[in-house]
Amino acid sequence: MRVHMKYETVIGLEVHVQLNTRSKAFCGDATDFGASPNSQVSPISLAHPGTLPRMNTRQIDSAIKLGLALGSQFPEEIRFDRKNYFYTDLPKGYQITQDAKPICQGGSLPIRLKEGYRDIRIHHVHMEEDAGKSIHDQKEAHSLVDLNRAGVPLLEIVTEPDLRSGAEVDAFMTAVRQLVRYLDISDGHMEQGSLRCDVNVSVRLKGESVYGERCEIKNLNSMKFARQAIKHEFKRQTELLENGQKVSSQTRQFHPENGTTSPLRSKEDAPDYRYFPEPDMPPVPLEMEKIKSLAKEAGTLPWEYYNTFHDTYGLSAEAARILSETKETADHFLRLVQQSENKQKQIAKTGSNILIQHILPRFPLLEGFPLKPAQTAQFCQILVAKIIPTRAAIDVLLPAWIKAPESDPEQLIAELRLNKQTDTDELRRALTAIVQAHPKEKAIYKGGKRNLLGFFMGQALRKVGKHHDPGEVRKLLVELLEA
Amino acid sequence: MEIDDALISRLEKLARLKLDASERADLRNDLNSMLEMIEKLGSAELEGVVPLEYPGKHQAIPRKDEAKGMIPTGEALKNAPEADFPFFQVPKVIKK
Repeated sequence: MRVHMKYETVIGLEVHVQLNTRSKAFCGDATDFGASPNSQVSPISLAHPGTLPRMNTRQIDSAIKLGLALGSQFPEEIRFDRKNYFYTDLPKGYQITQDAKPICQGGSLPIRLKEGYRDIRIHHVHMEEDAGKSIHDQKEAHSLVDLNRAGVPLLEIVTEPDLRSGAEVDAFMTAVRQLVRYLDISDGHMEQGSLRCDVNVSVRLKGESVYGERCEIKNLNSMKFARQAIKHEFKRQTELLENGQKVSSQTRQFHPENGTTSPLRSKEDAPDYRYFPEPDMPPVPLEMEKIKSLAKEAGTLPWEYYNTFHDTYGLSAEAARILSETKETADHFLRLVQQSENKQKQIAKTGSNILIQHILPRFPLLEGFPLKPAQTAQFCQILVAKIIPTRAAIDVLLPAWIKAPESDPEQLIAELRLNKQTDTDELRRALTAIVQAHPKEKAIYKGGKRNLLGFFMGQALRKVGKHHDPGEVRKLLVELLEA
Repeated sequence: MEIDDALISRLEKLARLKLDASERADLRNDLNSMLEMIEKLGSAELEGVVPLEYPGKHQAIPRKDEAKGMIPTGEALKNAPEADFPFFQVPKVIKK
């Protein structure tokens, strides 16, 4: 048995979610991404003397929405603390954060793994503000500072040490991104820094109930780096233990160029942040009414959609996953099914096939898809009721309807002459012509090579598939070939 | 609690300061007398007194999420000891 197999990785995360507010956490500066440096600043974010912070209602509402989705407990009042440290991208000399009483306590987030959903426990979620950005590589003796990001509102989600591998961290971050987009509290762009995570990693022998000494790896801004850092830490820590050494509690930094980590500071050197209640913002009571009204506004959550699609409508796990991926897709599909009073399961199956195979590849995340759920439902009903042949519906009617979403489908069917034709004489004439045009193939078929029927079917459907059912065509073809 | 040499060294490190021997001695005396004064507060009778964090009775009033009140970059940089438009400029933070 390989040495590493005896051990398991224990991982806890601190995920920073940048909120999609219009203004900063404690002042009115805009928060647009990519604005020119130091163009979104004010005396408050620059920490000029005498300025005072004011809370942003939307940051509080966003935190409550997230807490409701996670099933967290809320405190009776909202209060902030100061975290003191000195760095040039933090003009005040302290960060306004929540230390003693975070806005959300406890809760859990279900993550999707191969074997199904698993709940990851949340320790708490707190509100805070971001720091500015320092640029170190432009000048020899100086660093440049851009304070556009200083004061941008963040939520920090702190998990319990419930994750066991890089793949699970991946699944957790995917679930966070999906949830914040569903709740419309963040754009969830990892590459723009809207989601960042610090990873706490320790190892222990499998079956052990006590956690090992942990190391914190800071500021991993991509999933690839997070996975590499975890892999490296697992190897480094198990090797230390196998050699009879101890893992010491450290903050470590990740090196993207070779996938390794190195110590940044030890526990003894940990900064003393001297937290204390923010004197400039006295606590505000958190009204039950506010929580209730936000709960009323809350829509269906991703895993709730998934369960409905999978359990109630009988979709496969993969189809349910794809359709619940974004709120737009999930809403469209659910409304499509709910439009139909009967045959819901059949409509659901047809609808999911149409969306996944024919619509989503052309309109990813349904962006720019012009048909309303009622129209997609109508299209599925045309298919289920076999009003026109399937091929005609998918290849001709659907693209035509997408081009002219205002049209009436019945009129389109008539205009495009897609109506199923009941004239079997005409069908017989068309098929006879095809058979007569291929005497050699007919002879081979009659000689016993029955799979040549596929060849004739291909020819026939190209010619008459728009107007006739494949079953009908096949029946008549066999009759003509046998003759 | 007493301020000893080890604590002075730790504070020196946290505050990013370099103190010479006489400054260390002065600071040690100052801090010790401050601590003595604070310790006197410990003798106050506080049985049943609720801790007071905020002397005033008013609450903070959250604001609407609106972008307003910004100042132009040039004006923002005016108060900085050093600037390289459109950036603030500070002594190198990371030594290569």
